[in-house]
Amino acid sequence: MKFKIKRFNEKNGSYWQTFEVPVRTAMTVLDGLFYIRENLDNSLAFRASCRMGICGSCAVKINGKPRLACETQLSKFKEVKIEPLDNFAVIKDLVTEFEGFFAKHKKVKPYLINPKISYENPVEQIQTPKQLKAYYDFTLCIKCGACYSVCPAGATLESYLGPAALASAYRFNADSRDHGKEERLKIVSQPNGVWRCHSAMECSEVCPKQIEPAKAIQLLRRATLR
Amino acid sequence: MRGFEPLAWVLQAITGIAMVFLITVHFFATHSAHDLLSYESAVERLKSFDYKLFYALLLIVVSFHAFNGLRAVILDTEGGMKRKRLVNVSIAMLAILAIAYGLFLLMRF
Amino acid sequence: MRILGWFKYRSPFGMTFMFQRITGLILLFYLCLHLAYLTSLQEKELYEFFTSITVSKQFFIFDSLLILCGVFHGLNGLRIIIHELGFAHEHRRVVLIITGLLAVVAWLYGSYIMFLAIGD
Repeated sequence: MKFKIKRFNEKNGSYWQTFEVPVRTAMTVLDGLFYIRENLDNSLAFRASCRMGICGSCAVKINGKPRLACETQLSKFKEVKIEPLDNFAVIKDLVTEFEGFFAKHKKVKPYLINPKISYENPVEQIQTPKQLKAYYDFTLCIKCGACYSVCPAGATLESYLGPAALASAYRFNADSRDHGKEERLKIVSQPNGVWRCHSAMECSEVCPKQIEPAKAIQLLRRATLR
Repeated sequence: MRGFEPLAWVLQAITGIAMVFLITVHFFATHSAHDLLSYESAVERLKSFDYKLFYALLLIVVSFHAFNGLRAVILDTEGGMKRKRLVNVSIAMLAILAIAYGLFLLMRF
Repeated sequence: MRILGWFKYRSPFGMTFMFQRITGLILLFYLCLHLAYLTSLQEKELYEFFTSITVSKQFFIFDSLLILCGVFHGLNGLRIIIHELGFAHEHRRVVLIITGLLAVVAWLYGSYIMFLAIGD
């Protein structure tokens, strides 16, 4: 199978390169990338770690849509075209700069804020199944950056917090054990927060974990009105 | 409420819903028969108090929605966000200008 | 230009975002044009000269396109309001299809009404 890969390095700039990869049954795009690096061109750079859709390192644009390389079967395609994620600066080949993405994630305080939690005298934090269900879906985010790479607001405004960070903010705001709602709402209701979302829904469409960041942003937006 | 942004969003939605109805009425009032666009009937509409009120409302609602939309488009860019205050002030001026000019035309009849 | 990032998506939802933005800017332009046009109401001859150009079968194509812009922007706007209030995210495909159908029907109906009103 033909692997058409958009490569980039500081010396040669950006260019396309095609590789021919022998395909076995049940092979994924990531397997193909590993094959290229081991047998055809050891200078090919890409990120990967868990190879089972948990770590979120291997998100790349495959045939025009951001997907996890490790969870994309080659049998779906006749030919694959692989590019680095949009809206991120490319460092080398398929490796993009994630520093800013994680900085935004940190900005929304993605941890439980609860003065009653003490690590010296731990007490059980009881939740009903209903309380768990309120935020559970949003805990599944693996920070792969697929949502941010397709967001129109993210394309033109670097400071926009972006779908992943906002979904994270909602995940903690919807948690019954959390007491930091006001702090977080203050952060996400800045002009570069929820107001830059115009419901293009691209984030929800490409999310490999189907967590619907767009919905989280709207619920967050609703909460800021109170 | 936290600043102007939430208010702008709510008003954008409210004016949006209002416009669906107002513009439908406006469309049928001017385009459902040939004579409705003649000079005489246009002036007749503008002279009636009810229409004046309707047009004034339509003008304010449309102008807010249009210019607030433009503001959102500009603030979506790096350059716009950097000059947020300037953008907000100049868009507000443009909207006020549009409303004032429309009201001025209405007053002539 | 990074602005093109607004116009490059291929999911149907990204497309409607793109068209919402484009039609919005067109309608803003039309609003300014419309206000300028109405200046002519102060003089009968001027107004009648203008309407003799714009209320005509040759001009109808622009009117029809304007109706399409308005109807799409309005109905898609209602769809966005539903979603932005946090509703029906799971059914967004159905909502989008219904919106599209309504927009086409409203566009054809509006154009028909307008075409009839042009007369000879």
